Amino acid sequence: MKTWLGPVAAALLAGVAGWYGVLALSTFGLMEAAIQRVSQDYGMNTMRYGTLPTPTNQPIVRPSPDLAYSTCPYDLAKGPVLVSVTPVPGRYTSLSVFDARTDVAFVRNDLQAGGKPFDVVLAREGQAVPAGKEVVRLGYDRGIALIRLLLNAPGEIEALDTIRRQSTCRSLGG
Amino acid sequence: MKRWHRYALGLSLGLATGGALAWHATGTGFRQGSVHNGVWSTSLGYGTKSGDALTRAAVARRGLLALPQTETVYWAASTDSQGAPLDGSCTYRLSGRAIDSRWWSVTLYDAEGYLMANKANIWSFSSASLGKGDGPDWRVTISPDAPDGGHWLPSVRGKSFELTLRMYNPGAAFRANMAGAPLPVLVKEACA
Repeated sequence: MKTWLGPVAAALLAGVAGWYGVLALSTFGLMEAAIQRVSQDYGMNTMRYGTLPTPTNQPIVRPSPDLAYSTCPYDLAKGPVLVSVTPVPGRYTSLSVFDARTDVAFVRNDLQAGGKPFDVVLAREGQAVPAGKEVVRLGYDRGIALIRLLLNAPGEIEALDTIRRQSTCRSLGG
Repeated sequence: MKRWHRYALGLSLGLATGGALAWHATGTGFRQGSVHNGVWSTSLGYGTKSGDALTRAAVARRGLLALPQTETVYWAASTDSQGAPLDGSCTYRLSGRAIDSRWWSVTLYDAEGYLMANKANIWSFSSASLGKGDGPDWRVTISPDAPDGGHWLPSVRGKSFELTLRMYNPGAAFRANMAGAPLPVLVKEACA
């Protein structure tokens, strides 16, 4: 029996390692998979103006069919990224910035912005940023900046598409 | 059995068991929210750095890019008021009054968290769905076939489903008492 004490203890330790390993892999792995999906057509550091979620258009799990999502998959490896947001008057609009670990680093909605356009610079610690710009410092290079636009009805998207496309993102790196 | 064989077996079994338990837990994480209100449950940790590893992984798997509860509260329901799993072959009544938020919606998903095809192309019911004739009380029928009248949120016959209630910019009074605040009531009426 004594000969199994060591292996059983090792099994318990491995069980804890397996638990936390899978949780970490799930978090980082699923976020990276999402980055890959939303960047496959237009690449990184570019805003993708998605069509409304339907059963045949669900790049992210549990999408809201009432929201028009614009996504900027960012990569700060070559420098900061500038995200410019133009809220749609009278509609819930928000920018949220998620890092590689799925944590929300920044959220601002149209009411908090006073209904006015705003810029945010995403940057790693130590990266030089333009003077006078609001900066969000991130702990990882990659992530997703997401703009949600609420529609009262799916047909509104055509009328609101021009203004929502005024929201952009681009790399400030060389 | 040699000594290293025993250790290899223990390590393999431990890793596999711990990993499998973690993966299973992330698949049910939305049901294990820290706040419960009727059939609904949520967690205060969605999208925040304070979220524990399990909540973070569960959200990544079943609700990636969720907003923190200061911006949006996501309630999940996978059972009716009697505790039975939601069944797309049954008819449910979801009813309530005004919800303390800037905007709200109830969306129907399959068990994996994805929208399901239906002939009506309706996947949610929201505060914008309410008309002048609804008054302070509203009601929506969740069923595979369209009801004779009133609001309808289609389910898919033979498929289990889940509901997500989104509350954008929840009111301060609501956030101060999330477990006791009035939320829509879900009741099963019949099964085909």
